[in-house]
Amino acid sequence: MIQVLPRWLEDLLTVLSYSDELIAGLSTTLSLYFTALIMGFFLGLGFAIGRQYGGIITSRISTAYIELIRGTPLLVQLFLFYFFPYSLSATLELLGLLPLPLDWSIQIIGPGGQVITILNHRILTCYLMLGLNSTAYQAEYLRGAIASVSAEQLLAAQSLGLSRAGGIRSIVLPQSLRRVIPSWSNEAAYLPKYTVVAYFIGVEDLFAAAHFIVARTFLTLTTYLLVALIYLVLVTVISRILDYVHDRTKIPGL
Amino acid sequence: MLQAPDLPSIFFYIIFHGLPITLILTAHGLIWGFLIGLLLALMRVYGTREIEWVAIAYEKVFRGIPLLVLIFLFAFGVPGLFWFIDPLYRTLAAVILSLALRSGAYQSQILRGAILSVNPGQQLAARALGMSRLQAFRYVVMPQALRMALPSWSNEYAVVIKDTTFASAVGIIEMLRVTFRVVANNPEMLFPPLVILAIIYLIFTYPITRFFGERQTQKLKDLGLGG
Amino acid sequence: MEKPLLQVKNIWKAYDELQVLKGVSFDVEEGEVKVIFGPSGSGKSTLLRCINMLTPPDKGTVILQGTNLMDSDTNLNMIRSKIGMVFQHFNLFLHLKAIDNVSLGPRRVLGLSKDEATERALDALIQVKMEKWADHYPAQLSGGQQQRVGIARALVMNPVLILFDEPTSALDPELIGEVLQVMLDIAKSGTTMVVVTHEMGFARAVATEMIFIDEGVIVEKGTPRHFAISPETERAKQFLHRLEVLYGHHEELLEPEDKEEGNS
Ligand SMILES: Nc1ncnc2c1ncn2[C@@H]1O[C@H](COP(=O)(O)OP(=O)(O)O)[C@@H](O)[C@H]1O
Ligand SMILES: [Mg+2]
Repeated sequence: MIQVLPRWLEDLLTVLSYSDELIAGLSTTLSLYFTALIMGFFLGLGFAIGRQYGGIITSRISTAYIELIRGTPLLVQLFLFYFFPYSLSATLELLGLLPLPLDWSIQIIGPGGQVITILNHRILTCYLMLGLNSTAYQAEYLRGAIASVSAEQLLAAQSLGLSRAGGIRSIVLPQSLRRVIPSWSNEAAYLPKYTVVAYFIGVEDLFAAAHFIVARTFLTLTTYLLVALIYLVLVTVISRILDYVHDRTKIPGL
Repeated sequence: MLQAPDLPSIFFYIIFHGLPITLILTAHGLIWGFLIGLLLALMRVYGTREIEWVAIAYEKVFRGIPLLVLIFLFAFGVPGLFWFIDPLYRTLAAVILSLALRSGAYQSQILRGAILSVNPGQQLAARALGMSRLQAFRYVVMPQALRMALPSWSNEYAVVIKDTTFASAVGIIEMLRVTFRVVANNPEMLFPPLVILAIIYLIFTYPITRFFGERQTQKLKDLGLGG
Repeated sequence: MEKPLLQVKNIWKAYDELQVLKGVSFDVEEGEVKVIFGPSGSGKSTLLRCINMLTPPDKGTVILQGTNLMDSDTNLNMIRSKIGMVFQHFNLFLHLKAIDNVSLGPRRVLGLSKDEATERALDALIQVKMEKWADHYPAQLSGGQQQRVGIARALVMNPVLILFDEPTSALDPELIGEVLQVMLDIAKSGTTMVVVTHEMGFARAVATEMIFIDEGVIVEKGTPRHFAISPETERAKQFLHRLEVLYGHHEELLEPEDKEEGNS
């Protein structure tokens, strides 16, 4: 006898039959996320230190960068970044200069002398722009944490004979990096959701995979719910891990 | 569109054609989000364990799903969701619903923190005067909580207005979409319209977050609140 | 004989495992000033909050003007509006000016119009000599000034009884005097008061009876004179001695006629 499956289960199985696309999309999403998070952390740390301890010019520049990024939509930034090289070559052409076929991409010369594009313009734009965007948000969290370590700590370090940079590195940063974890977790949990902007410039991330599946199956509800669930699990797992890290690195008594 | 438009006319074109929808989306997202957030915050602060759990679960879910996924889910995933609305406005409603549901999850956190930071002694004093729980909340806790929430709110406003750009994906004519219309009509000008859009956004976010972030925080400190 | 204004009978209260009050009873006659004192953690604040049911007792009865507050059909909000309370940490409403702190009760609880409430609030502020500061926010006032506003906030409701929970113990020494002076004035005008305090000068000046509480029970009762000259229990003796060493006297803060009595 043929067992008739409930409708929703049948739909789910149909959607899951596209697991290759889903997995490929998810791995793109994950790689966007981790790249941007890590890039944002190191650049953000630089901007935070620049804003807090830099001279007037360094700190102005850092501040301007942070406010510009935080004040404009990521999508707009992404499109600007995406079109920038085209726009630049158009301008160069207009000025009668050499019209270079400009775009962002990383290419290597293969063994046979042929050009191999490792990262094409679209995906590279996403990596860089997500990273540059996250930089600004992470810089703000990091600066807050740095500012919360009292100035006296740095004075105490310097009174021991440490240089200013040495004091920042070995006294201020270790404390602020622990303190930043709770607020930094916010950004870490925000970012996976914003990787969907990749879809807008045609990168095949998880959301694009959903779109693809919908175009094939017309199972909108099942597909979008499933993808929502995947994002939810992703964000939850990340938050859990960070909570755990926070617990493990807490300074006793603080 | 004019031929070879100059920058100011692009600026005004985007404002004129895109800003209304952007602001409508933002206002609806924030206001409905506020009501949802207030309800959730009250559930978390004053509710039983079960009620609190429901509110926490809501927050986790709507903080964990990308806005774009919510928009597509409500716009295309649930046909007939807005059967009572003119079909012309259903997508708009789906976007507003997405913005509000998500903003509610964030505003709940903002409000909960603000409510909890009103020192409990003042509630005790209000009750000692003979106020009911509700009166104490209404006249003592809430006015302070709302003020303390202002700086975080200005951030939430910025998040919402920036994220209305996602509505362009489902055909809503907000500022980003209007900008692309300008680009489409003037392919030789790829870059300037986007720069102008960024500037418009800066005008609508930076002064507000700055005002509330710094001046209001100072004012709160002067009141002995939140400092 | 007329019934006492307030009767507290056999009050028991525990927080989880911790038994804080273990059968406390006393009466307060109209016009009386009861001073309660005892070591920190002995349950004094809890006792005060049991009187106006902000912390409902586990067992016992509280009767105010013939109304049993433990009855489930007693309107506690109405009762509380007749019992003033002054807190150790003032607990002023930080978002309201002094005048609005005081008028909030009359407006929202007694239902007076804004003008009436403000007028009454101003009278109350005059009583505590804070009328000049009516338009200041709590954060702009010193601790002593804040506490006087706190007292005005209680006074303005025309309470039949005011509870004071260590009203001066969070204040810097130089600010204690102004608050005690206001409390003295109120006491002398015949207001019924239950005051938790360690200001023995104040107690000697106006207390009709003093109650020494330790570990949730009344250990000893007596007049200020009794505690000054011949406390009976060892615990009370030791505690009073420690008080003197720690806090000294604030007799100098009181008016001359009180001073003589205080020095006796
Ligand atoms: N809300 C509460 N929850 C739990 N324990 C409390 C609470 N309030 C007071 N206590 C405890 O009850 C005891 C008596 O407190 P309290 O009445 O404030 O004493 P006092 O005012 O005499 O210092 C203390 O041990 C205190 O820690
Ligand atoms: Mg106490």
